[in-house]
Amino acid sequence: MILYILYVYINIILPISLADSFYCFDLLALLTMSAQRVDAKVVMLGKEYVGKTSLVERFAHNRFFFGPYQNTIGAAFVARQIQMGDKVLTLGIWDTAGSERYEAMSRIYYRGAKGAIVCYDLTDRSSFLRVKFWVEELQKCEEHCKIYLCGTKSDLIETDRTMRQMDYHDVQDYAEEIKAELFETSSKTGKNVDELFQKVAEDIYNSTTFQLMTEEKGVDLGQTNNSYFYSCCHN
Amino acid sequence: MRSLCVVMYSISAFKNFKNTVFPPVTYSGPVSREMSQKSERRGIHVDQSELLCKKGCGYYGNTSWQGLCSKCWREEYQRARQKQIQEDWALAEKLQREEEAAYASSQGAQSHPQPSLAPFSKFEEKKTNEKTRKVTTVKKFFSPSSRTAPKKENHEGKTPSPSISRQASAETDRVSRDFVDFLKNLQKPGRDIHKQCRAFTESMANKRDLSADELSECVQDFYQNMSDRLMTHFKGSTDRVERVMDQVEKYIMTRLYKNVFCPETTDDEKKDLATQNRIRALHWVTIQMLCVPVDEEIPEVSDNVVKAITDIIEMDSRRVPRDKLACITRCSKHIFNAIRITKTEPASADDFLPTLIYIVLKANPPRLQSNIQYITRFCNPSRLMTGEDGYYFTNLCCAVAFIEKLDAQSLNLSPEDFERYMSGQASPHKQEPGPRTPAGPDGSPALSTAHQNLELLNGLGVRQERVLEAARNLESDLISWREAVEREVQEILAKYPLEIRPPPSAIDSDNVENDRLPPPLQPQVFAG
Ligand SMILES: Nc1nc2c(ncn2[C@@H]2O[C@H](COP(=O)(O)OP(=O)(O)O)[C@@H](O)[C@H]2O)c(=O)[nH]1
Ligand SMILES: [Mg+2]
Ligand SMILES: [Zn+2]
Repeated sequence: MILYILYVYINIILPISLADSFYCFDLLALLTMSAQRVDAKVVMLGKEYVGKTSLVERFAHNRFFFGPYQNTIGAAFVARQIQMGDKVLTLGIWDTAGSERYEAMSRIYYRGAKGAIVCYDLTDRSSFLRVKFWVEELQKCEEHCKIYLCGTKSDLIETDRTMRQMDYHDVQDYAEEIKAELFETSSKTGKNVDELFQKVAEDIYNSTTFQLMTEEKGVDLGQTNNSYFYSCCHN
Repeated sequence: MRSLCVVMYSISAFKNFKNTVFPPVTYSGPVSREMSQKSERRGIHVDQSELLCKKGCGYYGNTSWQGLCSKCWREEYQRARQKQIQEDWALAEKLQREEEAAYASSQGAQSHPQPSLAPFSKFEEKKTNEKTRKVTTVKKFFSPSSRTAPKKENHEGKTPSPSISRQASAETDRVSRDFVDFLKNLQKPGRDIHKQCRAFTESMANKRDLSADELSECVQDFYQNMSDRLMTHFKGSTDRVERVMDQVEKYIMTRLYKNVFCPETTDDEKKDLATQNRIRALHWVTIQMLCVPVDEEIPEVSDNVVKAITDIIEMDSRRVPRDKLACITRCSKHIFNAIRITKTEPASADDFLPTLIYIVLKANPPRLQSNIQYITRFCNPSRLMTGEDGYYFTNLCCAVAFIEKLDAQSLNLSPEDFERYMSGQASPHKQEPGPRTPAGPDGSPALSTAHQNLELLNGLGVRQERVLEAARNLESDLISWREAVEREVQEILAKYPLEIRPPPSAIDSDNVENDRLPPPLQPQVFAG
């Protein structure tokens, strides 16, 4: 008899009450959720004026990606959902201030990033020198962060080939050497922008850490390792 | 009584005035900010002794701790804290019992737990508290030590002093109740969560001597374990797990706050003071130097700037890391608004960071380093690392780092100018309009500024004297008025001594003077 009551409780009453509680949760979510949950952080790096902000804006308004454009207030942080198979991945794109006065702080920005899009201007050789600086920093401090090199303003060299200051194959060699992907994009025409972010999302989705995160007993030690935090703001 | 109130009021008004004459050590309210900034710009420096601990231990004090250093603050209020901790545990016990009872009754009557009596009895308690407080204030008013009363009163409002520890523990109570209410919806797992959180906070109470990093590790481990378990329970629904985790964080950190915010084992306090002084020393930095794309001439923009400043200052008053984070996010949104209105286009990171730096310089938020450290150590990591809140928090960290390292180059100034501004020899505000004169013995703008400052200082000194004089007069008036009233009362008492007689047993029975009264009228028969 007691066993029977227990059985009824576990199989009938408990599921109902749990369902109730989920309903409460959803109401609560509407009331208290200030910001969208984000699965992975992607940081934009590059010299001032290379076109980081334009790239973020292009990505944010692109029809290729679905979901509402969350952050109409500014282009500094943008959260976008990308459909990956039967799951949805939310990327948080962190724009950074490119001015040299803030260079010393860039390390604080890319801490914990799953991907870094390091931009250079295809029509400005000097902007590539800075790329090497960030790549070395990333390799030194964020080994789990995948690097994407992005040559910007490709529409300019299409209209005038002499404008190109960075050879594609030279950069490609460098990219292979540092195990990075290379894209040449135009935020003006939108060329290759979708491809870039799609690749970033795919890589994150396929990375072991993200798989673990969404699995049933998901523990993502790599991502939530505390050691990041202690040194934050103090170096 | 009424005139007395007026007198007391005017004394406190003078006191406030005094506060505004000298730049306050920290931001103390929206009213005085305007004034303090003006005086800061004129280059008046605070006496070093004003910054020292009021107990005279030689260490620096902090207005957040009523002018004491952290050590004296702690000693001073150890007892109050101890008492509160005991109250906390008592309440936790009570809530546990209630929760257990609610759970038991919900097994019988499903889903509708009996409403407990707790809220009502709490209300009663609060009422009596208020009463006693009123009584003591009135007493203070009339006791001979009433001279010092207004001072104390003044402090009570704005700092987390033990006198409002009652309020703080009321907050703890409320959070605990909310937590139990929230968990009730979860039934059995909710009960487990509650038990574990309680056990955890209890265990943390015995770990006072751990370093801040170790404390942080304990809390982070607990978050990790708890979310792992919830992940299994909710079958991988990250949203649900996070919603429970938010409540767990709120419950735990409200309780642990007092022991783990700016702990003695760290140099957080020293850093707070260093940052505070640094920001004060940089009062001359202008919008133009930082390239801030904000035009404060536009009312709507300055409105947003003020709101951003208020939000960032408010951060210090929150106890839950996530609530502190929310203050930073609100501040950031106001900054975005200010930029969008000025530029008529959405702000990018290149606009946002300089503006945030400007806001931090203007606000000089209390205990900035402690707050950043606290959030870093005790916030649920998933929120801090990837999401929107995390983005703004990271920018705040960068702003602070920038302010710490800021030099001539980062403001596009010559090293000489930077030095002169830092040492207070010159101010960029005064120089901008007029043409620059070569630094001569007489025509030097720095000298004339110094002269002006001296004059202002003298003027202020005289006014200060007058204020003190008036306050002294008021005080003596008050005392003599009191004495006069006392004397009058004594006289009246002497004139009409109060005699208490036993109540008359029967009408006229002991009316001794009865016989002196004319005899009662008698009906008389007139002959006729
Ligand atoms: N033609 C062209 N101009 C671009 C492109 N991307 C950015 N720009 C221009 O480059 C300048 C700097 O862009 P911005 O996004 O602000 O660079 P950031 O400093 O790296 O954020 C702006 O004037 C943009 O209009 C592009 O793909 N094509
Ligand atoms: Mg930009
Ligand atoms: Zn002291």
